[in-house]
Amino acid sequence: MTSAAPTQPQPMAAALARMWAKFLPEIDARLKILEESAGANPLSAEQQTAAHSAAHKLAGSLGMFGLHRGTELARQTELALAETPVAATQADLADWAAELRALIQAPNQ
Amino acid sequence: MSRRILIIDDEDDIRQVAALSLETVAGWDVIVANCGAQGLERAAEHLPDAILLDVMMPGMDGPTTFRELRKNPVTAKIPVMLLTAKVQGPDQRRFADLGVEAVLLKPFDPLTLASQMEKVLGWT
Repeated sequence: MTSAAPTQPQPMAAALARMWAKFLPEIDARLKILEESAGANPLSAEQQTAAHSAAHKLAGSLGMFGLHRGTELARQTELALAETPVAATQADLADWAAELRALIQAPNQ
Repeated sequence: MSRRILIIDDEDDIRQVAALSLETVAGWDVIVANCGAQGLERAAEHLPDAILLDVMMPGMDGPTTFRELRKNPVTAKIPVMLLTAKVQGPDQRRFADLGVEAVLLKPFDPLTLASQMEKVLGWT
């Protein structure tokens, strides 16, 4: 094929669904890091670094699977965790993580 | 015309979805590497038509990998596009100033990644 026009949405959709299933444990593990950091009081520097990295990875990947709101939430979390002190309350971090959890558990809703 | 693309990214999901996208949508041949050092080896070995290079990788990061590609006469002319989830303006300008063909943002759309690359590279 010489053109890169997106002419095969159905095969791609099916293949992406398989990829989603394959990488869900990894995505879930990243989200667990965010959930743990939201519940940590105080948040250690190591936890903040790990959570920042997890949020960055989620921001870069969720949108590939159509979860654009997930990318927004992860990016918001990443930006907050890039600051010291963290530029969000624990309640905000927990709310964003909870919304991410809901999106990941029901990606097609 | 079929193309050969090298994807260098340490994240399995990004690397595999990008490969799937370029193979399925565009029918291109894809080679993958999971770190900068492996990417340098594969670039010299396979001489791809273009390289998609992640910015943030442990060990040799994307900008360093890019500079190493440029130092080697064998790989110096291969077009490189950086792939990053850093969306803030200063970061993107810093990456663009390295001399890459383009800075593409994560998350990418798997249905349009290939056409986005074609446009950047003048392959349309």
